[in-house]
Amino acid sequence: MTASFRAIRVIAVREFAALFRLPIGWLIVAVFQLLIGLIFALTVLTPEAPATMRPVFGVAMLIVILVAPAVAMRLISEEARAGTLEVVLSAPVRSWELALGKYLAGMALAGCMLLPMLIHAWLLRTVSEPKPDWGPIAAGMLSLAMLGSVCVALGLLASAMTESQTLAFLGTVLTLTAWVLATTIGPAYVPERFAGALAAASPGRRIDDFARGVIDLRHIVFFTAFTAWLVFAAGVAIERRRWR
Amino acid sequence: MIVANDLHRWYGRNHAVRGVSLEVPPGQILGLLGPNGAGKSTTIRMLAGVLTPDRGSITIQGVDARRRPTLARTNIGYLPESAALYTEMSVLGMLRHHASLHGLSGDDRRKAVARAMERCRLPAERGRSRLGSLSKGYRQRAALAAAIVHDPPVLILDEPTNGLDPTQLREARSLIGELAQDRTVIVCSHVLSEIERICQRVVIIAGGRVLADDPLDSLRTPAGCIAEVLLDPEACRGLLEGAQAVFEPLEAGWTRLTLDHAPEADVPARHWLAHRLRGREIRELRDRRGGLEDHFVRVLDKLEADA
Repeated sequence: MTASFRAIRVIAVREFAALFRLPIGWLIVAVFQLLIGLIFALTVLTPEAPATMRPVFGVAMLIVILVAPAVAMRLISEEARAGTLEVVLSAPVRSWELALGKYLAGMALAGCMLLPMLIHAWLLRTVSEPKPDWGPIAAGMLSLAMLGSVCVALGLLASAMTESQTLAFLGTVLTLTAWVLATTIGPAYVPERFAGALAAASPGRRIDDFARGVIDLRHIVFFTAFTAWLVFAAGVAIERRRWR
Repeated sequence: MIVANDLHRWYGRNHAVRGVSLEVPPGQILGLLGPNGAGKSTTIRMLAGVLTPDRGSITIQGVDARRRPTLARTNIGYLPESAALYTEMSVLGMLRHHASLHGLSGDDRRKAVARAMERCRLPAERGRSRLGSLSKGYRQRAALAAAIVHDPPVLILDEPTNGLDPTQLREARSLIGELAQDRTVIVCSHVLSEIERICQRVVIIAGGRVLADDPLDSLRTPAGCIAEVLLDPEACRGLLEGAQAVFEPLEAGWTRLTLDHAPEADVPARHWLAHRLRGREIRELRDRRGGLEDHFVRVLDKLEADA
């Protein structure tokens, strides 16, 4: 095992365990499941409703935009506030290893949020006739994971830039909202030559494709590259702490 | 061994550290002193690898901290001022985490954690306790155990006795002394008496500069003398012509004389004064002990006078 991999694993495991040693981890998972359960019961699990998880995925996307920043807001800022970041920065851990370890812990919690949704899918398959295909369900889950990944990475970056968890949360939610609005409504208000580029940066259209069961490699590359860039920027923000 | 050479650090326009140089060999405990805002915390954080100096170099165990920062940091154990701990973790959990961060695993990690707990006198039954539920003294011990769990050759301790009661203070002092036997230790503290008891050498920083760097033993040697004599100050001044002395009138014609040193370099101040006051009525004549506090005040007064 290389030193980098070991450092990333050590940081990720501690952070993930810390999220569940405190009420925040349980609370986030419980609130997400409660909301998703309600949406599922009210929109999917009703007579005459088509056997699809699409309505759930649509609402889940909005909930992820709100909940993922709550997961990420404490990743670095809590350590900075408590003073433990100083100890980590004096250890033989590189800033990018710290950022990646924290991101993986955030994604593990996001996984704990999203995976129970498979129970809803299984329930739908059990009670409905004809049975829904697994393809669109898997694509929908993948889309939420991709969106969650970007949200956690953006929250991590915000958390690395401030010691206030509230600021990190608000900064992340506002940036995500601005991103969704700018790329959804924006193209109608900008010159045509920019409209295409703006629309291409829209997470909504890509999520729609996933929800239809289309797993387009370009969408995966888009979300993965965006996440990688944000985690890299978080690493730079942590490194900057050594310089400011 | 830690060597810092011409360290500089700016915070915006504030030149917080201005050319600090230090060399601390193994087995030595260096005390870093200074008034608030003197630049000692910034210096400590640069030495610990938390901050990068804007100029200058730091070498830790022969490793250049600028060129190979990660390798240099493997040699450092750092206890920050607030004794920062993951309060939701158990003592054992935190020590294992710190050992893992320094690359220890398996049996090595288990032994390192047990050794650190033993050295810091953390009883085994405390291992499962949540750090947030421990007393201040145990938390400080746990933080110190985390700093030494990987057996670093260089230990940097910022206010290590902060908030400890007298019994814990004594234990902490003896522990730091034990740790320093085979390590380089730098201790930063506001409490002069603690520095005086723990350290072998003291560096005073103010205005971002090193103002004094002295072995503590040299500060414990007699520094001048004090006498009380039945004479008025003017008569005393006449008797002690040529000497740098302070005359303080007391009650009923008595005067207190404070002499920094005799005009002749090789004559002890007390002997010189006794000779000059021969035949006069003297009620007290003693060496003045130059403690760290005197030294600290003198150094800062000199800085003020120069400014």
